[in-house]
Amino acid sequence: MSAIDPILLSVYARCFKAITDEMSLSVAKTTRSPILCEAKDFVTGLYDAQGNMLEQTEHLPILAFSLAPVCRHIVDYFGEEIYPGDVIFHNDVFSFGNQNNDVAVYTPVFFGDDLVAWTAVKGHQADIGGAVAGGYNPNAVEVWQEALRIPPVKVYERGKLRKDVWDLIFSNIRFDIVEHDMRAQMGAGRVGERRMLALLEKYGRASFEAHKEALFQATCRAMEAEIAAIPPGVYRGEGSVYYDGRTPGSKFTIRVTVEVRDRRIRFDYSGTDPQTEGFVNGTYASSASATLLTFLQMVNPKIPHNEGMLRPIEIVIPEGTILNAAYPRATTFGNHLCPPNADAIMKALAPVLPDRVTAGWNHLLCSLTTGIDPRTRDRYVDIGFMGLKGGSGAMQGIDGYDHIGMIDASGGVLDQDYEMFEQQTPHRLIQHEYLCDSAGAGQWRGGLGVETVMEIGSDDTQVVVFGDGDFEPPFGLEGGHPGVLNLISLDYPDGTTVVPRNKSLTTGVPRGTLYKQVAGGGGGYGDPLQRDRARVREDLRNGVISLEAARGVYGLEDPGSIPVPPGTEC
Amino acid sequence: MSFRLGIDVGGTFTDFHLQRVGRPPLLHKILTTPSDPSEGVIAGLAEIAARLEPACSLSELLASVELIVHGTTVTTNAVLTGQGARTALLTTHGFRDALEMRRGLREERYNNRSTNAPPVIPRCLRLPIDERVDAQGQVVRSLREEQVSRAVAFCRDQGVEALAICFLNAFANPQHERAAGEVVRREFPEAYLTVSTELLPSIRFFNRVSTTALNAFVGPKLKGYLDGLSRRLYEAGFEGLLLIMQSNGGVVSPRVAREKGALTLLSGPAAGPIAGLQYARSVGRSSCTVVDMGGTSFDASLVLDSPMLINEGDINRLRIALPMLGIHTIGAGGGSIAHVDAGGLLRVGPQSAGAEPGPACYGRGGRLPTSTDANLILGYLDPDFFAGGRLRLDVAAARQALEENLTRQLGLDVEQAAAGVYRVIGTEMAQGVREVTLERGFDPREFPMVVAGGAGPLHACLIASELEIPWFLVPRSSSVLCAAGMLMSDLKHDHVKSLVMPWDEERIDWQRLEELLGEMLAEGEALLEQERVPADRRSHVLTLDCRYVRQYHEVSFEVPIETLGQRDARSVARAFHREHNRLYGYSNEEQATGIELINLRLTSIGRAERAGLPCEKSPPGGVDAALKGRRRVYLPDGQAGCFSEIAVYDGHRLGAGHRISGPALVERVDTTLFLTTPFDALCDRHGTLVIHLKGRDDLLRDVSLQELAGQAGGLA
Repeated sequence: MSAIDPILLSVYARCFKAITDEMSLSVAKTTRSPILCEAKDFVTGLYDAQGNMLEQTEHLPILAFSLAPVCRHIVDYFGEEIYPGDVIFHNDVFSFGNQNNDVAVYTPVFFGDDLVAWTAVKGHQADIGGAVAGGYNPNAVEVWQEALRIPPVKVYERGKLRKDVWDLIFSNIRFDIVEHDMRAQMGAGRVGERRMLALLEKYGRASFEAHKEALFQATCRAMEAEIAAIPPGVYRGEGSVYYDGRTPGSKFTIRVTVEVRDRRIRFDYSGTDPQTEGFVNGTYASSASATLLTFLQMVNPKIPHNEGMLRPIEIVIPEGTILNAAYPRATTFGNHLCPPNADAIMKALAPVLPDRVTAGWNHLLCSLTTGIDPRTRDRYVDIGFMGLKGGSGAMQGIDGYDHIGMIDASGGVLDQDYEMFEQQTPHRLIQHEYLCDSAGAGQWRGGLGVETVMEIGSDDTQVVVFGDGDFEPPFGLEGGHPGVLNLISLDYPDGTTVVPRNKSLTTGVPRGTLYKQVAGGGGGYGDPLQRDRARVREDLRNGVISLEAARGVYGLEDPGSIPVPPGTEC
Repeated sequence: MSFRLGIDVGGTFTDFHLQRVGRPPLLHKILTTPSDPSEGVIAGLAEIAARLEPACSLSELLASVELIVHGTTVTTNAVLTGQGARTALLTTHGFRDALEMRRGLREERYNNRSTNAPPVIPRCLRLPIDERVDAQGQVVRSLREEQVSRAVAFCRDQGVEALAICFLNAFANPQHERAAGEVVRREFPEAYLTVSTELLPSIRFFNRVSTTALNAFVGPKLKGYLDGLSRRLYEAGFEGLLLIMQSNGGVVSPRVAREKGALTLLSGPAAGPIAGLQYARSVGRSSCTVVDMGGTSFDASLVLDSPMLINEGDINRLRIALPMLGIHTIGAGGGSIAHVDAGGLLRVGPQSAGAEPGPACYGRGGRLPTSTDANLILGYLDPDFFAGGRLRLDVAAARQALEENLTRQLGLDVEQAAAGVYRVIGTEMAQGVREVTLERGFDPREFPMVVAGGAGPLHACLIASELEIPWFLVPRSSSVLCAAGMLMSDLKHDHVKSLVMPWDEERIDWQRLEELLGEMLAEGEALLEQERVPADRRSHVLTLDCRYVRQYHEVSFEVPIETLGQRDARSVARAFHREHNRLYGYSNEEQATGIELINLRLTSIGRAERAGLPCEKSPPGGVDAALKGRRRVYLPDGQAGCFSEIAVYDGHRLGAGHRISGPALVERVDTTLFLTTPFDALCDRHGTLVIHLKGRDDLLRDVSLQELAGQAGGLA
């Protein structure tokens, strides 16, 4: 065992972070699918020989925490048959993958003859086979209708491409772009491998192993200290999922029991409703990621993300529940069970961590429009990132974050730029603004929701809607009010209005239809009557609360004269 | 006698670099006067006049100055402190929140206490105008001037000082923005006005509205400051030309800067790379990395024949989409605070003790341990010779700060903890250099590193070792490198026009392309004409922004203007594929994937008359005459490191051909070089210390040691 140098420990921690950042940069620069290079729906990570996490970079946290379990699975699966120059693909949700479309590339790092580490790069692919292009198939009941399953498979062995395997995979995927993007992910994995080797050459294997373990222990101690600050006990919370895409009116409950004792925390989902018939099911990995990312928002955000952080945390999700579907159920919607899962955890811990939890966040409700652009006669596909971003929940001392979007991205996924949007789709935007009175009132109000209106510019347009948050608003805490509901509606040129279900596919939407979307605001925290009067006046002046709300909800007795900018009169 | 003067006003110090024909430059530094920086400028000039031999008056000095190039952080500070003008925005109805939304970004994913960046224009002053132009530039809803008038009247009532106008799709048709601008100029002429398409007529609404708002927000401040400074200078006897440093590494007349203050937002470190390039050239290289470590930050950049440019960046989390040098800044400076984090790891920065209260050893009330405190404990700084003895450093205070905040937590003694701070900040800085080299596909070992800033030379050997960079340069003027670089900067005007169009021969609208290019050329010529640049010093560089259809990010690449003239679509496509391949490791040339044009960019340049680097007269005596004594310092060599007595040299007594073998310290009034064991230093004829790995004399083949007869300090 090499002696621990506390300074070298900092240097290692910094270097692991630098390596995963450099891998991320490589992915962002070289991939072509906008969901990767623009929305940054990918993660990169670095693992030791056994698959323990050294560091990871989480553009979209929901993808991140399944990398280590899959890495361990790969180590078990191939056993002695892992060689320098191997490259391994994986997406299988029944062996710790989180979502079919999220395909990971694992590269073993050999120092001399020894396997010492792994790099991993996982990204959301534009297509992964299955019945529907892009993967969101509300009609799926089994995994094969959703995707091509890739259990761990070597596409390179000892540096040699296995052309037959490669062709087998990509002849089952629709778009060439996926092949390009997987190559880009492999390139990023190599970047990580090179940097990791340089580090090992500099300090040697023994030093690396010793300091790695010391780093895990230091991080573990930091996490234990955070948990020790939570009063020991057993806490329970619930979150709701509405509609499984098959049975109108269906509702499912996520139940979590959080147990805190002896500097450890346990999240147990026993008692959660059974899995659904449709594609609204989680996988163990997506649900556990949701649990972790929510809990990590309640502890010091500076704690490094490595194996040590995970040691005092236990997550139990019984198979056969909506959060952990049994083979071979459909699961594509699973990542989007994060918001109700987060609700359950926030509600459970609110009584004991009043200054760490937030009120309810706006849940995801998203649309995907496709059609033929009459200007170019080309097919366009647009994932409506712009319209889906509502507000976060308020917390003690802080208003919610306006227009941030779902908690599983926490501000990591960006709107399209308006002008680029109008170049790339035939639609014309009419409005994209904060919605007045959309935030849950409170001493600290929720983050503002957003109203989006656009005129559909193609004939025979297809609108896929998936999400939630249109039945139950984000909850308030400690007297704070709920935020407003999500809504997507279509005003047809003939005067009829259609409200698509929250998991549905609408075809034949004509040109000139007005697409309207409200992404609701987050829940408020504390009694609105206690809100700082200056803040109430500022919100009123900025037109994000109405005079009615200022008087009626916030009890502002003397609003004074509020100048109303011309053109903004309600 | 004619002088040229570079003046760099920074957060803590104002640096002066006075260039004199036939004599070495005079370097001067004084404390910045934040309330009105021009006071410090004038005070510093008076001090310089007194330092000259023979001494002269301020007006005599100024009368001899033919050129002043000035770098200011007035606009930067206005944004960082939120103290800009009271600004309003007129924008297309339905989109008044784009500025504040920042496309929905939250930088810190796990920190629910992080709040959005406050917008420079509050919502109550973002006014909707009911007009609309479509993506192709066709008017969908006409502008009604009376509505603009009502908005303008409201702004006047609200005490607005500056107005920004940014309409959706105005890049494709600026007619409505122009008309609204006319109304403002007519009805509210005293307001400072920025029209988006006059500043940045390119596609991407968020970039444009953010940049336009920032320009209006900082414009009045900069205008007031420049008016005051010019008045003071001219009243004091200055008759020469005043130019202002921009973020793109070029300079511009005060007239343009008054209208486009946003051009200066990130201009603080922008002259460094240009100066770095000239020093690299003096040792026979045309590329280098440049690092500059000051009190609060560390700037790293890469120069490949010319400084690297990017088309957008951020200031205080706010987007600014104007061309600027690709300088990577991290919070690692002499004042950076060391602490032990929740996991028990030692961290340094990004918080800084700044100038007030400053490092603990300054004895001005600072109690937290900083990088400077560690350097003092390690023996790198002489407590009695800091800033040439002007500030006495308190070793006991430094030790106490480390004891109270680091040693107990880490289980180390004070020296070990100080050594840790030194190594950790070195790792941070090396990472900064990595960002601008390895992460852009360049190997830092291939270029000499030019080291600047008061604190840079203390850390440079460690950065070089970490990245295996075999050599670096510490120029004579390293502590005021930006002020020196300003005198080497060209006049530079960037223009951009968006034209979204498929790049295939059948569908290219050549006529429109040539029209836009013609407009930009005419604008550039007119500006250079106003700046009195003779025709033979003017040039124009065209770049196109293209991408593969369905990509999101464009690639900028240079195209000879003649290529457009010859309507040679294929050469343009080839140049695009090539650049895409260079940047991202692949191109789709063979697959014949469609390309689309997004923007045309033209840079109009008025070449500066650059003075060559002056030669220094060698002081009498050999290198031994420069030996001041010996000091016990920490040597970071090997994994553990140790304390050892090493030689200390007086940097002012080193001359061409002098060699020093590491480990050693070289002290100058304005900076200290710490030479670790693996390195040697050679002084060249310009007074530059060329630091190189022992045994790598092969790197020195183009280093000039001889003063050339009759050419001392002459114009090159």
